[in-house]
Amino acid sequence: MTGDATPLPAFRRMSFVNASRRVFDLSLGEMLWSRRTIFMALIVGGPVLLALIVKVIESFGMAALRVNNQRMAGFSIFGVIIWALFLRFIVPVLGVFYGTALMADEVEDKTITYLFTRPVPRGAVLVGKFLAYLACTFLVVLPSVMVVYFLLVPLSQVPATFGKLLIDLGLLALGLAAYGGVFSLVGSFFKRPLVIGLIFAFGWEQVVMLIPGSLKQFTIAYYLQGLVPHAMPSEGVTSILQGLFQQNPPAWVCLAWLFAFLGGFLYLATRVVEKKEYILEQ
Amino acid sequence: MSNKKTRYFVAVMGAILAVGLGTGLVASYMGLPVSVFSSAAGPEELQYVPADAAVVAYANVREVMSSQFRQRFKDIEPSENDKNEFEEKTGLNLEQDVDSIVAAVMPKDGMANNPAGSFLILARARYQASRLEALAIEHGGQVSEYNGKRLIAVHDDDANDPTPDEMAFGFLEADLVGFGSIETVKAAIDARASNRNIVSNNDMMKLVNEIDNANAWAVGKFDAIASKVGLPNEIASAMPAISWFSAAGHVNGGISGSFKAEAKDEATAKNLRDIMGGFLAMAKMQAANKPGMQQLADSLVISGEGNTVALAFSIPSEVLDVLEALAKGRTPQLQQ
Repeated sequence: MTGDATPLPAFRRMSFVNASRRVFDLSLGEMLWSRRTIFMALIVGGPVLLALIVKVIESFGMAALRVNNQRMAGFSIFGVIIWALFLRFIVPVLGVFYGTALMADEVEDKTITYLFTRPVPRGAVLVGKFLAYLACTFLVVLPSVMVVYFLLVPLSQVPATFGKLLIDLGLLALGLAAYGGVFSLVGSFFKRPLVIGLIFAFGWEQVVMLIPGSLKQFTIAYYLQGLVPHAMPSEGVTSILQGLFQQNPPAWVCLAWLFAFLGGFLYLATRVVEKKEYILEQ
Repeated sequence: MSNKKTRYFVAVMGAILAVGLGTGLVASYMGLPVSVFSSAAGPEELQYVPADAAVVAYANVREVMSSQFRQRFKDIEPSENDKNEFEEKTGLNLEQDVDSIVAAVMPKDGMANNPAGSFLILARARYQASRLEALAIEHGGQVSEYNGKRLIAVHDDDANDPTPDEMAFGFLEADLVGFGSIETVKAAIDARASNRNIVSNNDMMKLVNEIDNANAWAVGKFDAIASKVGLPNEIASAMPAISWFSAAGHVNGGISGSFKAEAKDEATAKNLRDIMGGFLAMAKMQAANKPGMQQLADSLVISGEGNTVALAFSIPSEVLDVLEALAKGRTPQLQQ
């Protein structure tokens, strides 16, 4: 057969930014309506429920929480919730579960092939998914913090405490981003990312924070706790030990390190995704 | 965004955040009054306390009078004859008729020389208005009306006082009397009528909100008072830089209470905590082997964080039994 062969249509490779946006668009809906979101709603609903119980108790004129025979004011209870529930548990746990799953889920479901055969830079897939993770967690965590705040803090105390709420919201957002960055690398690189992530967040970080010395500088919690505008709750041996060995670095150092964690680990994760050969198990 | 469900979710969550941030910003910059979304803390009488009051105190007289604690001190009270004379003249039985008292201090220049002109006392009780009015007129009082409330003013004829205040009392409600200088009583009537009272003072109401389970309390702006009472410079400079304070107590079988102060900065607060800690340690050392005193010293707890310093104490009735026995020279038997 002779004649000119019709050339195959050339696929134009999308720019990194456009590709990330498309992946974000696709992933946000998937992430929001996944089973993992039910888990997230449950753990984020805990503090809201707790605040509701406190509100009901206080509406009957009783003190919900007392320390040294003194009634704890609403904003102090809010501070305890931010410390004990959000910073120490919810933020790391969401970072682990979502961050490690960004690429690992695609590998596990064997759908990564479809993504990588599209004319998009491989790194953009991770960045798009990471942005979807941020949007998804921000949209659930931050409104719940807002609801907890207005349930616990009387309106008369809002002018004096609102600035601290804004710091809390920013801090939680930065924490979610930093943990997400670290665990996206773990998820892209390791085969059992969830286990490694849990060991890092609830093993390494918790233990190192109790040990005097400079090892705690290799944790995210150290820099996050240095920025918290509330006093650390002093109940429990863990808190007392942490309080003893706590030497908060200046705020700018904490911010610089948290952004460095975010940028550095996210960059490494995109490099891994671009270079790594993902072998799908049959 | 991919589908309708996701868009709705984003919109709802975004709206929660936006409403919260908007409310916070409005409250921060425009100062929403406490009463907008919630009922104000504290007794109703606070609505008569002018917004510029620097100290407000409250006592639930009925609860204190009927407490077991007060029964211990019956021996040192005025004799029945004196009480009957007072009741005959005023028609007021202090033990049965008075429910509560609110006191407020509105600092003003020269307060040190003329403290009476800065005070306002609001007493809720069952009054025989005509009898009280007749008694006041008998003693030279003059009856007038101010914004629909009856005021009875009495001139202070003290020749030693260069700026005598006209003292007055007025029936603010059928069972509520305001007593103070004529200006402060009028200010109380205005505060209620214009709704510009201490309830709209967010700083003060924050302290009132924090008081719980107390039948007597006081809150105030320490520096506002300290600057007006004319303290000597040596004393004023040696005093810790405290901005706010609150004290609350519950009197029943025993007494429990707390004192909380807000220092100007964290360093001052830390110094105060350290000083109080030192005194407490010394008190505990002194009280060792003294039954009652030791339990009293053990009940003192110092706490606080950041700018605040707090001292809490609790004296159960058993400890009061021991102290009473010690005072009467008996051998105390402390219940374990």
